[in-house]
Amino acid sequence: MFSNAKINEKIAFALLKIATGMVVAFVLVILYYIVSNGYSAINLEFITSMPRNRMTEGGIFPAIMGTMYLIVGSMAIAMPLGILSAIYLTEYAKPGKTTWAIEMAISNLAGTPSVVFGLFGLAMFVKYLNIGASILSASLTLALLILPVIIRASQEALLTVPKDYRDASLALGVTKWETIRRVVLPSAIPGMITGAILSIGRVAGETAPILLTGAAYFLPRLPDSVYSQFMALPYHLYVLATSGTNIAQTRPLQYGTALILLLIVLCVNLVAVTIRSHYKNKIKR
Amino acid sequence: MPEAYENGTEIEVKDLNLWYGDNHALHDISIDIPKNSVTAFIGPSGCGKSTFLRCLNRMNDLIPSCRIEGRVNINGEDIYSKETDVVDLRKRVGMVFQKPNPFPMSIFDNISYGPRIHGMSKKEMPAIVENALKSGALWKEVSDRLNVSALDLSGGQQQRLCIARTLAVKPEVILFDEPCSALDPISTSKIEDVILELKKKYTIVIVTHNMQQAARISDHTAFFLMGDLVEFDKTAQIFESPQEKATEDYITGRFG
Repeated sequence: MFSNAKINEKIAFALLKIATGMVVAFVLVILYYIVSNGYSAINLEFITSMPRNRMTEGGIFPAIMGTMYLIVGSMAIAMPLGILSAIYLTEYAKPGKTTWAIEMAISNLAGTPSVVFGLFGLAMFVKYLNIGASILSASLTLALLILPVIIRASQEALLTVPKDYRDASLALGVTKWETIRRVVLPSAIPGMITGAILSIGRVAGETAPILLTGAAYFLPRLPDSVYSQFMALPYHLYVLATSGTNIAQTRPLQYGTALILLLIVLCVNLVAVTIRSHYKNKIKR
Repeated sequence: MPEAYENGTEIEVKDLNLWYGDNHALHDISIDIPKNSVTAFIGPSGCGKSTFLRCLNRMNDLIPSCRIEGRVNINGEDIYSKETDVVDLRKRVGMVFQKPNPFPMSIFDNISYGPRIHGMSKKEMPAIVENALKSGALWKEVSDRLNVSALDLSGGQQQRLCIARTLAVKPEVILFDEPCSALDPISTSKIEDVILELKKKYTIVIVTHNMQQAARISDHTAFFLMGDLVEFDKTAQIFESPQEKATEDYITGRFG
């Protein structure tokens, strides 16, 4: 005879397995769909040349470069800003109404639709600060978009550093800032990089914010400075699939573009994971 | 109270009161702690002995709700005056914690951490590290693997590393907060040997809930109960003929 508890456990396990299986299945189906339709479009020319003949032929080089610029630009802005404010909020800010309000604002920021960020970027960076539709405006907008994720991940990472380390350092007559810099941060950096990894896919894939702040429908050249407009993979994909000159004819290009976008996110994540494990090894556990 | 100490007084505490929020945790504590000797604080859990210890290097400052009144002089200097630099105070008054807490770094880096931040040059480090580890009775066990992570050491070795790390900063006073409560008897006796050796050069204050330990290593013992300092005297006096009924009840094991 099985007891009730044992039967319940079997049912629970089965449900967990089914849920996990479904998630994996969906991911595999999407991947298979994109890879099987997209791989034929990919060759050296596709990733190194300009679009030709009203984007029905040629490559997507400017869109690849545009997306890379956005990843680098928004990370360069959001990482330091996010990590520094996380340090302030976790280590220095005294609990109270102001801190509570800031925490609430960050949580709300995380739930704000990306098109709202796009409109804010348009109003603030493109128009008010007069930066214009550009890589810089779009990077700033995307940086704001991922800031809550980076702040939260950094806060979590700081909170997991044991109090013992801090006490040990403070008791040696080390200032709070030196303690944070030399003991707390090295232990927290891997967790902070995890936040960055989550953000990279977001930056590479977002369309609405860049659409309003600098992404171009078509540019026959690479951007020449951070003040230039740019092409980007997700918007290029959207254009090809919805408003291109010949949607049916460019199907392989669309799948190829999607596949390249996935590969870029994968590669950048691999770099981040490598950096993370470097820091993990540096702290001797 | 004992008469004048043969090596002089290191720490003078006068009418110290401490509150955690509304909780009055220490009442009018006054005590003179002698130089170059071992002073033990004993008492049941929650009696305030660890809280009092943390007043001596101002670690209680880190607790937001904590408020302290009264005077603590270390080597004649009021450590709660406005002019006192807390960071500098903690250099002079080192602390070893209940749970060994080495940093997740190599043995070498653990010891050199304090001296490096306090501005000693890199060239001096090997000698500083060696001396500190020798004083902590750990040198023989680790001299051939200073680059190994400190977290790979055993609990007892980690605690001796923490003692050595404190010594590397060259303090005058070392506070031990139940340093052996997480350790086995052999590790404990090694640490006790280290403490007995250290008292030649340093003033030692140790909180312990192990009465045999207090009897073995301390010169003076203070008995705390519910936030009061009940009795303070030479250790032999406390254990052989305590003046207070509560002290006698505690050391004879009637409560605690």
